Amino acid sequence: MKISSKLIAGLACALAVALFPAHAQETVKIGVITDKVGPAKPYAEPITQGIEVGAAEINAKGGVLGRKIELMIEDDQGKPDVSATMARKLVDSGAVFILSVSLTPATQQAQTVSLATKTPQMTPSNSGDTLTTQIDNPYFWQTGPLGSIQIATLLSYAGTKNYKRAALVSDNSDLGQLLARFFRSGLEKADIQVVSEELISRGATSAEPQMQKVRAANPDVLVSAGVLTAENVLMLKAYRQLGLKMPLLASYNFSVPVYMSVAKGLLDGVTFVDAYDPAKPEVKAFEATYKRVTGKDPFNLHGYGYDGMRLVADAIQRAGAVDKEKIKAAIQATDFAGVMGAKGMKYRFPAGKRTGFDPNGMVVRVYEGDRQGRVVHVGQGKPQ
Amino acid sequence: MRDFLELSVSAAASGCVYGLVALAYLLMIRPTGIVNFAVGELAMLAAFGGYVTHSLMQLSYPAGLAAVLLVMLGVGWLTERIAVRPLLERGAPILAPILALLGMLVIFRESISLTFSPDPYPVPYAFGFGRLELGPLSGSYQSFFIIATTLAVFAGAWFFFERTVAGKCFEAVALNRRAAALMGINLARVTTLAFAAGAGAAGLAGILVGANISAHYLMGVPLAIQGFTALVIGGVGRVEGALLGGLLLAFAEQLTVRYAPIAAGYAQAVPFLFLMIFLLVRPTGLLQAKRVA
Repeated sequence: MKISSKLIAGLACALAVALFPAHAQETVKIGVITDKVGPAKPYAEPITQGIEVGAAEINAKGGVLGRKIELMIEDDQGKPDVSATMARKLVDSGAVFILSVSLTPATQQAQTVSLATKTPQMTPSNSGDTLTTQIDNPYFWQTGPLGSIQIATLLSYAGTKNYKRAALVSDNSDLGQLLARFFRSGLEKADIQVVSEELISRGATSAEPQMQKVRAANPDVLVSAGVLTAENVLMLKAYRQLGLKMPLLASYNFSVPVYMSVAKGLLDGVTFVDAYDPAKPEVKAFEATYKRVTGKDPFNLHGYGYDGMRLVADAIQRAGAVDKEKIKAAIQATDFAGVMGAKGMKYRFPAGKRTGFDPNGMVVRVYEGDRQGRVVHVGQGKPQ
Repeated sequence: MRDFLELSVSAAASGCVYGLVALAYLLMIRPTGIVNFAVGELAMLAAFGGYVTHSLMQLSYPAGLAAVLLVMLGVGWLTERIAVRPLLERGAPILAPILALLGMLVIFRESISLTFSPDPYPVPYAFGFGRLELGPLSGSYQSFFIIATTLAVFAGAWFFFERTVAGKCFEAVALNRRAAALMGINLARVTTLAFAAGAGAAGLAGILVGANISAHYLMGVPLAIQGFTALVIGGVGRVEGALLGGLLLAFAEQLTVRYAPIAAGYAQAVPFLFLMIFLLVRPTGLLQAKRVA
């Protein structure tokens, strides 16, 4: 049978299409290490959602350097060894940047991989001060508000109240212990005597023994450095049950909106440090974007992830290439206004530093009834 | 003295919760020899049930409590049918259902984790957040409610095992499964009832303590550890041992935190210290099973 030349050409084209698929558009691969099942999940989940919204917004505007962002999300279960394994997996899969939003020890362990592979890594949310000091890793940055900044902001506010004696309460999580250390050190430097230091264990069924000790010590103020929400609520319940009247100053954990439902009726007058000023124009724009994309209202934790994603995209854009060394240089030169922080705050990394949250960028707010109320203090020296 | 008496109410309430979890273990261990480490997760399920019935379904507290306990009886029954009976009927060693129940632990926890957000959820109080003073004693309404409810449950459990034929069947199976079967006792029914009742006891613990600690997906393991420690202290042989063990553990915990001149962090080692001491010195627990004359 004679086969026409046209038929042969058509078959050849079809074969070529089948064997050689169209060259897929390259993406910019950003790795995200989160905690989907472990103790960091209450924080990591909304932060990851913020990253996803940030990436979606950037892709809707054409991506970065003409390429879409591809998020590769891995779950480290809050475990340091798994976090390092996931970091290695992401690097091997082509990630040019890693965002870590799990527990502080897990982020720390993942740094061993970012250092060894010279892959830029950033945590937009972890507040452990030791993340940039324990390992000399020029490929790691931290834009979460440091525990030391939190305590300095709270102390700046406390300084306006002339407190002399403080009780300090924390929990037995790694971050809670780290924050308690910084809070204690900060209180002592401010000449505020720590007359009682109590710890509420994860899984405790009562905080009355600890609050009785606080009551017996008769402090001017109670400072909460805990980061476990359920245990903080337990402490708050005991505080109210035992009729304690001294003011309660709390870490930024109290800024998580869940307190308004799980500690209803118990919050009025509690002051807490936060990195989210709802009156800020960038916050209003973010809330509108998030609602449009997801149909839900965001809260402060979403903002960390959203800022982290946009900051990374900004760095890649300024780097001009998807090259790890160029991205590293660009990150270090960041000058970025995000959602988080007080009005006017920008993320910047001073020379030789890899922490980018402005020391004057936190605010102190007060619960009014069960609602997160107004800002009463900004940074480390500006009372409202 | 005021602090001590105030603390006694708080410790008694916590002890009652530990006692209920220990009772859950005991009800399942006695007739089957199976340790169900998922009891903590059963308590967690009930705490979330409390949130759902009160906050989402708007049921009254009594109706919500009854609904949750009924569901927990069903969960216990289902657990036995899925994870225990098939293995026992195939003659599997005792370790097999224990491992299967560890699998159920993961299933329960991850189901909740995927259904709800990772944040804690409010569980209703029986009589609100107020405080009650009974003579020299003072404590929250919930603490007194936990104590009263637990005493009623243990009184009922004691009556069941000591004064009813069904309870005697339980004891017979606990003493000798083969002989009990030969005497015509339906082993499968006793096992099912044990798991259902155990889930009910764990569920009651969860919904009672959930009002204080909130419902969250990680609340199960600490309760399981505390309940198991209470069981070891009190002994597996008698129902009242579970309550005694729970009370001793809770008092030791809270009095240590309040009065011991040691760093707060060390006080959390108290349950494990107790566990080790009792396993070494008195592994059968404080109360031994009654011997037949």
